[in-house]
Amino acid sequence: MQIRFCVAALLAVALVTTPTPGVDDETTRALATLKRVTREGKGNEDAGPAWKTLVSKGGGALLPTLEAFEDGNHTAANWLRTAVDAIAEAEKAAGRKLPADKLEAFTLNPKFAADARRKAYELLLTQDSTAKARLLPGFINDKSADLRRDAISNELEILERTAPPTLKADLEKLFAATRDKDQVELLAKKVIAAGGKASISEHFGFVTFASLIGPFDAPESKGFAIAYAPDTAKDSSGKFTGKEAAELKWIPASTSDPLGKFDLNKLLGKHKNSVAFALTTIVSQQEQPCEIRVTSPTSLKIFLNQKELFGRDEYHHGSPFDGNVGRGTLRKGENVIVVKVCQNNQTENWAQDWRFQMRVCDDTGGPLAGITQVSAIDGKAVPLGLISEKPTNTEDKK
Amino acid sequence: MTRFILAAFFAITPTLTLTASDWPQFRGPNATGVSDEKPLPTEWSKTKGIAWKAELPGRGASSPVVVGNRVYVTCSSGTRDDRLHVLCFDATTGKQHWHRQLQGTGSTACHPKSCMAANTPVADETGVYALFATGDLAAFDADGTLRWYRSLVGDYPTITNAVGMASSPILAAGRLIVPMDNAGESFLAALDTKYGKNVWKVERPREISWTTPLVRTVGGVTELLFTGPKGLTTYDATTGETRWAFKGGGGSIPVGVLDGDSLYLPVGGVSKFKIDAKGVVEKPEWAAKDAKAGYASPLVYAGKVYTSDGQGFISCVDAKTGKEHYKERVKGAFSASPVAADGKVYCLSETGICTVLDATANTFEVLASNELGEASLGTPAIANGRIFIRTDKALYAAGR
Repeated sequence: MQIRFCVAALLAVALVTTPTPGVDDETTRALATLKRVTREGKGNEDAGPAWKTLVSKGGGALLPTLEAFEDGNHTAANWLRTAVDAIAEAEKAAGRKLPADKLEAFTLNPKFAADARRKAYELLLTQDSTAKARLLPGFINDKSADLRRDAISNELEILERTAPPTLKADLEKLFAATRDKDQVELLAKKVIAAGGKASISEHFGFVTFASLIGPFDAPESKGFAIAYAPDTAKDSSGKFTGKEAAELKWIPASTSDPLGKFDLNKLLGKHKNSVAFALTTIVSQQEQPCEIRVTSPTSLKIFLNQKELFGRDEYHHGSPFDGNVGRGTLRKGENVIVVKVCQNNQTENWAQDWRFQMRVCDDTGGPLAGITQVSAIDGKAVPLGLISEKPTNTEDKK
Repeated sequence: MTRFILAAFFAITPTLTLTASDWPQFRGPNATGVSDEKPLPTEWSKTKGIAWKAELPGRGASSPVVVGNRVYVTCSSGTRDDRLHVLCFDATTGKQHWHRQLQGTGSTACHPKSCMAANTPVADETGVYALFATGDLAAFDADGTLRWYRSLVGDYPTITNAVGMASSPILAAGRLIVPMDNAGESFLAALDTKYGKNVWKVERPREISWTTPLVRTVGGVTELLFTGPKGLTTYDATTGETRWAFKGGGGSIPVGVLDGDSLYLPVGGVSKFKIDAKGVVEKPEWAAKDAKAGYASPLVYAGKVYTSDGQGFISCVDAKTGKEHYKERVKGAFSASPVAADGKVYCLSETGICTVLDATANTFEVLASNELGEASLGTPAIANGRIFIRTDKALYAAGR
């Protein structure tokens, strides 16, 4: 299976690295126009006619349109995606087949945008019912979240059906590859049941050690908009004036929660109209892009090395996992992450949570190479997600 | 004086631009949930009384909309619920004309009951305008040509509502009206229908809400009546200027009904207010406290006001007096709003059971209880002698 997949992949790369023949100027211009649309519909007046031109080109424009997708240009991608739909639909209505070999080659080429490859894969499945079994095993570590998920589900189903002698190692491989929370939790159970070890906390790369400070006063629940000194903290030193003129210092804390939860009501006490901060130091062996993903039911801001990456001002409407994402770059050496977590004055039972989870990962939600967190307890560098075996922090003691 | 009264009478009229048999928006023509269509079916099931059924690629709390012979419906799918679908079917045969997909560009966080296809699209003779809870907004011509597309979260990145958004766009004064009440940059906007650019955009309170504006024309001015948690505010649909406000008309989920010089609002149960060119008379004519609206908006039909709630209760009160005719409990909770035509009221439950009531009776007369056996959150559409019901799996055309 592996050899066959590698041969297919090589052929695919060979096919797709050859420029798409016969792309006329009109198609090229139409694609460029669609990619120029920006905020508030700027460029829509040209994009509409360009879309029509592109679709009128028929099947010949299918691959160039898929190739025009770019990771990160979501507006253009939606113009292009609907054009792909319209082209494929028209080809089907005309009784013409889509170019299965080219779609397969495109799907297998990681240089193209993940969403476009997924789209090509789905079109391919409409032409070739054998493509799923042939291609999915190669997508276990794919950048496309959907292809990766489907590949892992497919592989898990095969493993459970065949129960090979390598089951434990195979499950561990899938566990390492998976990204979606439900699939992570499912595979962790499977790995443990097969006699292996699986740490959900380490898998996700949760920050499990942090210095905390608070509560600061946030009158009228407006803490999100107020600038506080710890926003730009460089370390966990210094004293600050908090709510009711209390003197505040950073306190070391850790969590033993498998999903990295820090419960501020337990750690700092229950406070309304307040703001607290969590500071953690991440050591990276090289400069690299990162995502800082935070889960919280309340308003928050994410700072990396004194620069604000993200903010969301919303209280108690749920706390979707990874619902807040700050995108930045870790520099080589020490990096200081500060998360500001606000609390308002709602009195309902369901509006009392004051907590956060924070993880540092790549843009697929997977681990970054060569990074550690500095324990707020003893200053040692430890892996992200590490859970102390002995309770050493305020939350555990309580 | 007589001339003035006549002028005033004709000056206050609901906006109606499409044929009576269309169902172009949330709760149909005039956003009342009422259609002139007849005859309409009373009984159906999965195997009986269904003209056609079309499989859908995903869930949706949105309603189907119908203009001419085209039915439009939106869905969302995928592990992250970020795959957005707009489909067009032939209303007569159920043949799929086209299917377009978008990738959600905003957050897909929402209450587990809802999904990203929660906002009902709006259609006219030229095509359909589909807004999703992710803030993705697209206009398609009737043949599936993408006319324009906007990522509203791309435009205004602080937009956020982790419960999920569901307010529906409408067409008024030749513009596409986009309600976007949320905890971030909250606004009501009018977009030109040709290119999707802002004509006007007014700031709204940063509070989450799921309501859809009502429309009326007063003295030549098209007004948008838009409720939020802290009250009802009325805007000039042409300029976005505030006309008047009514603090007592606040609400977040169900939407009221305009019926001539009466405004029925889901406040204090359901309350009936007098409305004239200048605004609402603050003291209600009556309030029916036991007629709870829940997620579903009230219905005013044939001299009665109906509500259906999350506990499965259907209430019916007299539209003139507010006096209760009945309050009865049926199987299943209601998210879809009740709709009516041909002397019947259709109450579709979340489990796909449609209780059909005799609207001519002052007592609880169930004509039929029709079960499709599939989850149904979207309000049905009535058009072309049929009732279009979307479930989480399929679109059904009940009728001949």
